Amino acid sequence: MATAEIFFEHERWSRNLAWSLGLHVAVAGLILLYAVVGPSSHGAGWGAGGGGDAIGVTLVNTIPLPAPAVQTENVLANESKGLTQSLPKVEEKEKEPEAIPIPDKDVKPKKAPKETSTKRQKPQPEPVEANNIVPFGQGGPVSGPYGTFSAGEAKGGFGFTGGGGDFGTRYGWYVRVVQQKVQQSWLTYDVDRRITEAPRVYLTFDVLRDGRPSNVQVEQSSGIPSLDQSAIRAIQRIDTFGPLPSDYSGNKVSVEFWFDYKR
Amino acid sequence: MHRLFKWLLPILLFSPSTFSQDWIRTGTGLGVEKVRLAVPDFKASTQDAKNTDLLKVFNDTLWNDLDNAGIFDMVSKSFYPLGPVGSPPDVKFEAWSAPPPNAAMLAFGNLGASGNTLTVQGWLYDAKNVTSPQVLGKQYQDAATTDAARAIAHKFADEIIFRLGGGIQGIAESKIYFVSSRSGRKEIWAMDYDGANQHALTHVGSISLSPRVSPDGSRIAFSSLTRTGWDILMYSVDVGRLVAFPRFGGTNLSPAWSPDGTKLAFSSSRGGDPEIYVVDQSGSNLKRLTSFKGPDVSPAWNRKTGAQMAWVSGRSGLPQIYTMEADGTNPQRLTEEGYAVSPAWSPNGQFLVFSWIRHYGPGAPGAQDIYIMDIASKQWVQLTHDGGRNDFPYWSPDGRHIIFQSSRSGSEQIWTMLADGTNQKQLSFAGSNTQPNWSWK
Amino acid sequence: MKQRKLKWITLVFVLGAIMMLGACKKKVAPPPPPAPPAPTAPTASLTANPNTIEKGQSTTLTWQTTNATDVSIDGIGAVDPNGSQSVTPADSTTYHLTAKGAGGTQDATARVTVTAAAAPPPTSSATEEELFSQNVKDIFFDYDKSDIRSDQQSALQGDAGFLKQHSNIVFTIEGHCDERGSTEYNLALGDSRANSVRTALVQSGIGGDHIKTISYGKEKPFCTQSNEQCWQQNRRGHFVYQK
Repeated sequence: MATAEIFFEHERWSRNLAWSLGLHVAVAGLILLYAVVGPSSHGAGWGAGGGGDAIGVTLVNTIPLPAPAVQTENVLANESKGLTQSLPKVEEKEKEPEAIPIPDKDVKPKKAPKETSTKRQKPQPEPVEANNIVPFGQGGPVSGPYGTFSAGEAKGGFGFTGGGGDFGTRYGWYVRVVQQKVQQSWLTYDVDRRITEAPRVYLTFDVLRDGRPSNVQVEQSSGIPSLDQSAIRAIQRIDTFGPLPSDYSGNKVSVEFWFDYKR
Repeated sequence: MHRLFKWLLPILLFSPSTFSQDWIRTGTGLGVEKVRLAVPDFKASTQDAKNTDLLKVFNDTLWNDLDNAGIFDMVSKSFYPLGPVGSPPDVKFEAWSAPPPNAAMLAFGNLGASGNTLTVQGWLYDAKNVTSPQVLGKQYQDAATTDAARAIAHKFADEIIFRLGGGIQGIAESKIYFVSSRSGRKEIWAMDYDGANQHALTHVGSISLSPRVSPDGSRIAFSSLTRTGWDILMYSVDVGRLVAFPRFGGTNLSPAWSPDGTKLAFSSSRGGDPEIYVVDQSGSNLKRLTSFKGPDVSPAWNRKTGAQMAWVSGRSGLPQIYTMEADGTNPQRLTEEGYAVSPAWSPNGQFLVFSWIRHYGPGAPGAQDIYIMDIASKQWVQLTHDGGRNDFPYWSPDGRHIIFQSSRSGSEQIWTMLADGTNQKQLSFAGSNTQPNWSWK
Repeated sequence: MKQRKLKWITLVFVLGAIMMLGACKKKVAPPPPPAPPAPTAPTASLTANPNTIEKGQSTTLTWQTTNATDVSIDGIGAVDPNGSQSVTPADSTTYHLTAKGAGGTQDATARVTVTAAAAPPPTSSATEEELFSQNVKDIFFDYDKSDIRSDQQSALQGDAGFLKQHSNIVFTIEGHCDERGSTEYNLALGDSRANSVRTALVQSGIGGDHIKTISYGKEKPFCTQSNEQCWQQNRRGHFVYQK
């Protein structure tokens, strides 16, 4: 039923969707043929919990490690205009150390769920409004509050806020740990399989002194409950990120994540 | 439109499985992304003659511990810039963070003996963060022996793994307990997690099997053939000998500790048929949990919650794996076919690892291999394929490694691997070695 | 005139010869039936030593006969005129020897008293152990099974029969498994097998307190080849006599 609603809400997608569907049908037809002809494997109960027989899932040994490659973008190397515009402003702010620990929610850009499906990893011009997010220094696989990654069929990005504004700069390694753990925690089979793509969901949460995540909030919903839920569960599933760096003076640090979903 | 989607749904469910590989890796915390870590040899800080041997042991052990951890992409030493690195002023960041090493993190330090004392200093640096690179700075002191050098290397490696592995303790200081027949009789032995330092613990002189160490590491419960039959015996690691534990009558096998260390589950045939019983860690308050006809054996507690147990039952014919609540209620069957034995619950509570002959019957039974099953969804993945009989798998405390026994080399030996089935390595070589059990930390 | 006298003498001689011949012939007639030179009756004696035994023990019969050609003992059959033989009567018996000879027939008896066995003295338990291993057969099992197979029922009944007869015997049933399969499960399965045999014997009337059970799983195999014959050999409930 949710499927139906999606279609009715976003009628302007119908043409794109028709194309998409057409391609899907063609591919699906091939898959169905393979499924009928090839070895049978039950896919029952994805995300539906127990019941049914044990299901065999084969490791494909030839796929090289690591499976989902982490792609991160160095903000400074990116040539999009939006970035170069915003960057100077942010650099200025670096000179005035602002210690605004809690992101101001009203300031978040109103990303309408009507985002197009061309989701490249272009960090949005949100840092212009969120003046308490401070970018990293140069270099590193994780850079800036717009550090990005991919997890299976999802792409995500995140930023660190709070703690004197320079947490990410000083503790890049910790940021990397958080990113890794969230990435590996988001088991995408939680998401309704009928969904092939969905708009971005924004989450925030805190990391406490002992490394526990807390206060997971959906900043901005994707419009698809199961996607929102899967993102929340990804954070809640984590016991600890490891204690915050011992020489960090704050009691917690705030993290903002966004997830894109596309299959 | 709706009809179209309903038709597509089964198609989507059949889609093949790079996905499963994601699942097993993400579930076991492996292979998602590995931090590029460079570990140059530690430099000598004194002129002592003992330093050569101590440095060799230290450097080899540190490297192996970090390489074995499963979360690092170790930068090969052939890419390292020239010049020793012994302390922070020696670090040239650009040389390390740029290609060819392209390291994200750098572990370095120095080691020196002075008289009978060994001093080690170690740092962990973020190679990309010139202004404030230090993640760890540690100093260790101990006797100037190779054993101490090895122990310090294990400690330092565990610190690095804890920080960069997201708060999960490293296993470099953990121990493995197992059964070895190399002295002529099957006794309980112990070794380091990497196979070093193998030595006997018990000298019962009979047949001793199924060692299980307590969560606090102080005692090992095992099953031994005494004059009255098979009994649960208790070995104290602290005092180095057997300590008293009651005899229950019948055949008593396969002890298993609850994760809080207060209870012991085991199989006993004191009532005629082998059933699963629970007793306090002191041996009192015996309670029976199962009442199925047919052998019930090999209990395994849920390591995360202690609220459930898996075990092996032959109530339906060939042995299968079941779970139940810790009070014996709500038995659930997990395997539907073949011959399934030796379950062990993962530290995160999510998976069971076990040994399975999926095609079993008169004539030649099929191969016996190690499998992981996600308990909630009953999805399983096969981890070993290389032949031999593979049995008695057990998880490491970090949930990233599995040890098991395998006959693939021609004799029964202890093997280790990452929890996704890669990196399989033989740990024991002399005599016949079986039934390994990993310490809890 | 001399010729007449000669004829008369010849006649007399001839008559006398005839008479003598007839007399001689009478002498050559069938000799009297075989009678001992002193036509004596046969003798026979039979002794049992010891003449009181406990049940399960044996005794030695010794006999001597004279003037006998045909000697037999009831329950044994024809024997030599002199000899000895060991016997193991289950109950008190009187042995009866018959010796037949020219002089007649002679009987002899020896009584052996059999008392109920208390504790078997050491000398006889060796024999009992041999009897045990000869008569009590191991029970063999199918793959992964601990119930008694139908083709093992007769062996089981035979075992029960012997054990009831020798109800003093204390023994152990060992449960064994073949090399395939897992150590822990095989120990439990071996336990089930030993138990299964024990239950069947108890139901046949053997005292449960005479029966001990133990499982060896696959730890003490009877053979080590990897083939079905050896595997079947190892899947058994094995009886062990307890001294």
